[in-house]
Amino acid sequence: MPPARDIMAHRGDDDEVCPVCKSSRYLNPDMRFLINPECYHKMCESCVDRIFSSGPANCPVAGCHKTLRKNRFRKQTFEDINVEREVDIRRRVMQILNRREEEFDSKRAYDDFLEQREEIIANLVHGTDVAKTESDLQRYAADNMRSIRANQALEAQEASSFREQQTHEQELARLRREAARLEYENERKEMLAGREDVLSRLAAGRPGDAAAIAREGHKVLLKKSSARRSEEDRIRQKQAALRNSDARKAGQGALTTADRADDSGDSGLIKGLKKIKTPEPEKPYDPFGGLIPNKRDYYTLRDHYPNSYLDPIRQDTRMQAGGYDLQEYYSRTLMEAFAGLGCFIDEEVSKREVTSTMGISRPVATQGAALAAVSSAGAPEASS
Amino acid sequence: MIEDEIYRSSSQFRLWSFTEASLKQLRATTNSVASDRVRAALRRAQDARRSATSSTTGTPAPGSDAENKAAEDKQIECLTPEEEQQVVDYYSEQIIQLGENYKPPLPTIVRATAIQYLRRFYLTNSPMTYHPKQIMPCALFLATKTDNYYLSLRQFAEGVPGQTSADDIIAPEFLVMQSLRFTFDVRHPFRGLEGGIMELRAISQGQGQPAPHLQPSQTPEDLRRALLSLSPSSATANTMNDRISRAHHSTREILKAAAQITDAYFLYTPAQIWLSAFLLADRPLAEFYLDTKLGGPIISSSSTNHDQNPLYALRTKLLTTLANCSALLQAYKPFASDEARMKTLKRIVGKKLYHCQNPEKANIAGQKRIPAAAAAAAAAAAAAGESGTSESEMERLAKKRKLERGSETKDLFGGELVTQRTKERQMEGDQQQ
Repeated sequence: MPPARDIMAHRGDDDEVCPVCKSSRYLNPDMRFLINPECYHKMCESCVDRIFSSGPANCPVAGCHKTLRKNRFRKQTFEDINVEREVDIRRRVMQILNRREEEFDSKRAYDDFLEQREEIIANLVHGTDVAKTESDLQRYAADNMRSIRANQALEAQEASSFREQQTHEQELARLRREAARLEYENERKEMLAGREDVLSRLAAGRPGDAAAIAREGHKVLLKKSSARRSEEDRIRQKQAALRNSDARKAGQGALTTADRADDSGDSGLIKGLKKIKTPEPEKPYDPFGGLIPNKRDYYTLRDHYPNSYLDPIRQDTRMQAGGYDLQEYYSRTLMEAFAGLGCFIDEEVSKREVTSTMGISRPVATQGAALAAVSSAGAPEASS
Repeated sequence: MIEDEIYRSSSQFRLWSFTEASLKQLRATTNSVASDRVRAALRRAQDARRSATSSTTGTPAPGSDAENKAAEDKQIECLTPEEEQQVVDYYSEQIIQLGENYKPPLPTIVRATAIQYLRRFYLTNSPMTYHPKQIMPCALFLATKTDNYYLSLRQFAEGVPGQTSADDIIAPEFLVMQSLRFTFDVRHPFRGLEGGIMELRAISQGQGQPAPHLQPSQTPEDLRRALLSLSPSSATANTMNDRISRAHHSTREILKAAAQITDAYFLYTPAQIWLSAFLLADRPLAEFYLDTKLGGPIISSSSTNHDQNPLYALRTKLLTTLANCSALLQAYKPFASDEARMKTLKRIVGKKLYHCQNPEKANIAGQKRIPAAAAAAAAAAAAAGESGTSESEMERLAKKRKLERGSETKDLFGGELVTQRTKERQMEGDQQQ
């Protein structure tokens, strides 16, 4: 029945017949088509199972000699196989060329980069210069492994933080709704209680007080509600402040992750990248400015030196009680014995005089000071 | 060497170390500037005197002015830098004497600090401007404070001979501090000497530690044997301990006097000074000690030794420096022992300095004690019968003093160095042209 088959073919846009085994959806309603991003030839699930279960094999479509693996087969997302292919290519290229705007010197450079990326994608999609583009891309990927990784991690982090933020916001909204509901209920309950109270007092009181009681009850209610409102305002402000600080913190976090070290400043493929200076690893704080406190070059300090004056101190509790430490004396005397032994003043001072400009910390400076002192004190009017 | 770096950070090295040439030049400049001022001041004083007399006696003889001036210029004979140096040296010695006046005598280190203050002060000031007699007690008093040897001012003033009041002593204090550029730290060689002696004693008892860079090759026992095998310097010393004590004592004597009164502190570092003095006291001992620090004795012919000792260059340089310093210390003779020198000094101080003393600087106390002066003036005014206005009068006087001293207070830390120097240069240029 050719007309029926025609109808079938037309209705299913020949999607409904597996090009490999020619079985149709008509016969097998559960049939699913799969494609492989190697060649984008589509075939039904049973064909994939049949052909590729025992390892990689050639594509069964005539004229296509690509070797396919079973695990790469997936469901088609877009109806148009070309779109599907372009999306795949785009995803792959974007994963490699994942530079971010802040890595570029200027907006212009970033735009150039985006254009270049589009060009590469177009080349790959339309098959112009594929070999060269592909090799460029591979080389770039190999060269910039680290920055690519880092950017990927960054992207993943951003995505996850975005998700987190969204769920957080939803949660907050839910809480707010909950709070509003609770508040409404409380208010109603209170109003009822107040009314009840007024009624009971009216019942118990004398008829003359009625107006006063009613007024009082109304006032109490008003006071309560206004107090509640101000309290809520306060809480709300607090929450807002908290939210702001959270947001700020998140921003800072993003910033700190953004300034990471990179290996190569300008890769061959992409122009206009910022020169990234790897910040010097921060040295541990050195309070002595390079001097090692207990290192000495001229002498080795001992724990004890024989000395007829000092030795009695070691036993003298009156001396020791105040915290006097002979070690301090030893180290200081030996230090002073050699401090400056290798400073040759005649050489160093003359060098200093030559190098110093305009006599800052020069002997002339002292002279200048003295002259100034002399001249200022020497004004005859002042001293006479 | 880390010890050297530590010393390089001291104010003594940064501000108060000079080469011989720069020291000389500095003193010459100070002297020439001070002499100019003294001449100018004396001329002004004479002019004032003459104008005072002329106003009473009538018009002076016209045309004689220029002659007078020329004659005066000849009259005013200022000190030369060398003479100034003599004066400062003499008063440095006087500080040592002054220290003995107290009971107990002032510690050596206080006196030494005071001497250095005095010497530093007279690097940039001339004895013609400020008489050392006024500055000396002040420097000593300042030293008792900076060296943590407390004496009350009254107590201190009692020890100073002559009619010196407490106010006279502290009057130039700020001036002195300013000239010291507020650096009160003086690195003395005394404690270093104690350290060296201490280590030598340790070595003699076989407890010496070799210097870090010679650590593996030397043992305490090696050091001890080397020390004991030294040739005896004098026949009197029988044991090593005795010898070290003797050397210690004589080194200390040298440091107490010779190192203070000479320019050693300006030209050498404390470590070099005490080692030079030690060399003078007991040469073999000192050389042995140096060798323990700077590597073994150098046999000049063998090149291998040169390679072995990385401190060779330092050692040779240091030995010449120490030799120079020793020569400087050895050349020192106290004034008391030198009759001729004492005589010239008396001439300088007694006559010349008296005549060329800057008259405008004579009364430091009067210049500095403003509140007192103002109070006195106010009191005088009050005595004259204006008791109602005395308060405002006092204020007015204080204000006036302040205004007059405006320029001085601005220069609290020595004024602008740059302008000062350019001025000087211009002056020099003018003189050359």
